[in-house]
Amino acid sequence: MSLAAEAFVSQIAAAEPWPENATLYQPLREDQILLSDCASSLAVQAYLRMLGLPVRVRCRANAEYMSPSGKVPFIHVGNQVVSELGPIMQFTRAKGHSLSDSLDDVQRAEMKAYMELVNNMLLTAELYIQWCYQNTAAEITRPRYSSPYSWPLNHILAYQKQWEVRRKMNAIGWAGKSLEQVYEDVSQCCQALSQRLGTQPFFFNKQPTELDALVFGHLFTILTTRLTTDELSEKIKSFSNLLSFCRRIEQAYFESQDRDSQSGALDYSKGPSLM
Amino acid sequence: MGTVHARSLDPLPMQGPELGVQADDLDVGEAEYEPQQEVLENKDVVVQHVHIDGLGRTKEDILTYEIADVFRAKNLIDVMKKSHDARQRLLRLGIFRQVEVVIDTSHGVDALPNGLDVTFEVKELRRMTGSYNTMVGNNEGSMVLGLKLPNVFGRAEKLTFQFSYGTKETSYGLSFFKPQAGHFERNFSVNIYKVTGQFPWSSLRETDRGISTEFSFPIWKTNHTLKWEGVWRELGCLARTASFAVREESGHSLKSSLAHAMFIDTRNSPILPKKGALLKINQELAGYTGGDARFLKEDFEIQLNKRLIWDSVLSASLWGGLLLPFGDKPTSIADRFYLGGPTSVRGFSMYSIGPQSEGDYLGGEVYWAGGLHLYTPLPFRPGRGGFGDLFRTHFFLNAGNLCNLNYGEGPRAHLSRLAECIRWSYGAGIVLRLGNIARLELNYCIPMGVQSGDRICDGVQFGAGIRFL
Repeated sequence: MSLAAEAFVSQIAAAEPWPENATLYQPLREDQILLSDCASSLAVQAYLRMLGLPVRVRCRANAEYMSPSGKVPFIHVGNQVVSELGPIMQFTRAKGHSLSDSLDDVQRAEMKAYMELVNNMLLTAELYIQWCYQNTAAEITRPRYSSPYSWPLNHILAYQKQWEVRRKMNAIGWAGKSLEQVYEDVSQCCQALSQRLGTQPFFFNKQPTELDALVFGHLFTILTTRLTTDELSEKIKSFSNLLSFCRRIEQAYFESQDRDSQSGALDYSKGPSLM
Repeated sequence: MGTVHARSLDPLPMQGPELGVQADDLDVGEAEYEPQQEVLENKDVVVQHVHIDGLGRTKEDILTYEIADVFRAKNLIDVMKKSHDARQRLLRLGIFRQVEVVIDTSHGVDALPNGLDVTFEVKELRRMTGSYNTMVGNNEGSMVLGLKLPNVFGRAEKLTFQFSYGTKETSYGLSFFKPQAGHFERNFSVNIYKVTGQFPWSSLRETDRGISTEFSFPIWKTNHTLKWEGVWRELGCLARTASFAVREESGHSLKSSLAHAMFIDTRNSPILPKKGALLKINQELAGYTGGDARFLKEDFEIQLNKRLIWDSVLSASLWGGLLLPFGDKPTSIADRFYLGGPTSVRGFSMYSIGPQSEGDYLGGEVYWAGGLHLYTPLPFRPGRGGFGDLFRTHFFLNAGNLCNLNYGEGPRAHLSRLAECIRWSYGAGIVLRLGNIARLELNYCIPMGVQSGDRICDGVQFGAGIRFL
């Protein structure tokens, strides 16, 4: 299909309302999903919940390969498939759902800058700790990543992925960093977020925005995921306003909504709780 | 049979590279040779020595099996026939470029008066041969490099390597072949490969990387192949617009399977046969030797040919197959059967019958297809013995069905599922034989029994294939 035709189809799709059977796909929650994928998936779920758009979560061992961009999570809405938070935000905006409509241009630019910061720092740090720090890679990441596959495919795929991530780290200049430096980067990123948040309930006044969903996804996942050491979560725990921010969003968008809709078991997919 | 003289045997058509020389041709013109030394006709002879000249890296022990029969010849005609057979056997090994036979009376101290020496003058193939091709297809170009090392270790082993570098896909294959000494049909081969296929009817792209080992052997009139194959399969969508059902199949899987194939072929030619029958049975058991694909796959192919008046041939064929998954995992799109196309159920588009989702065909777990053809050399009769032999006109009637099985229903329900909604078609066309491996068909087809979702090709359909219904 040509580019023009594809654009046309997505325009048509944009005009359709959000269907009831929208589905989000992510890797297997118990045995397979990694910290970074879990964070991205939770960010998208938080974003859709903030918009009030219903989505069912399905876990598939091959979610990464089903995704058109090769990254999880992705959503299947009508006959459209959209992956990652950025494109999903554009997609919902095309359908008339957005969290940042009330912001002015300066605030919107600021929000985008902070989102870039989170993606460049937190997400990259998660990838670094998962794949480039030997202990985590050998004890957690590779076994989990390859759990759905049989020998010898499990080793091939895990090392192939590790190699791919390391090449990316090389390209962005993170390969030479030590673990301490990465923790320091995370700390600085959290410092910036903590300062921006201050005593407000959300990053931009009283309404949640895309940034809130993204930050929640990453911080909450880091706080509730066991790694070989606790150091990463300890870095975040030293910012009390970020901690309470996470709790606030969890209560407002995950616990209360799940209590309202009785289908908790299916939709409640965030994982462990902070309490 | 006229007078035959040993000296005069040299110019017989035993030399030269033509492989088609039949033993019957040998007596042509023999009577014309004048006796020069001694008449050997009807006289018992003894083959005293057999020499093989021109051997380089070939080990002699494997050749002794091929030429042993020559020693058993009792008279001159026998010697000639057996030497000819031995020559064919040597050429079949695929290690000599040329084999010439010289039969002479024995010389030397121990020479018997009726003793003969047979000398095979061979020329070995080069240690390595290479080939280079370029191919251009739809929006795609590729370069194919081939390397062949015949007779690597001196016992007719063959090592071949093929590498294809394309603008879209890269594939390669390395194979090692070793026949058993003296039984060329009993052979063993190991293959390592990577192939990529694009299947637009399913919007699917498949990359296979695998290792297989194969053991082939004849039993009575049947040929058997036992094979173990380990394949890492990577499935993906061909386009962003692929249906979600195909998207769900994306990802990696590992198939480790044991397969057995059997065939009997009594046809006089694999393409456009005039008589004879073919029976092929394949069975594959995956999952017991590792891997995550678990299934049993059976399929068969039968073809019967009967010659009628005016060289017309009536041909009937039947195909069928069943794929049975084990465990709770459903079958993969890569393992299922597909049906339809210009060389199977004609009048339907390529693999466009049966279960589909948003226009992408998903294949089925069970299928059957049958065909009835009447081939006639008319109107190409004037070209007999030449160009016209490549063509046939045919009238056909094809039928088939493909569906999925819900394994709770029992065999009776499955049979009735296959018997309802049968797709069939009839028509006529022209068949062109391409060498002895493939054929081209240009048909006018009328598809019938079309079900919703099937893609048809009503009218003129063109196709090529190596397997045909």
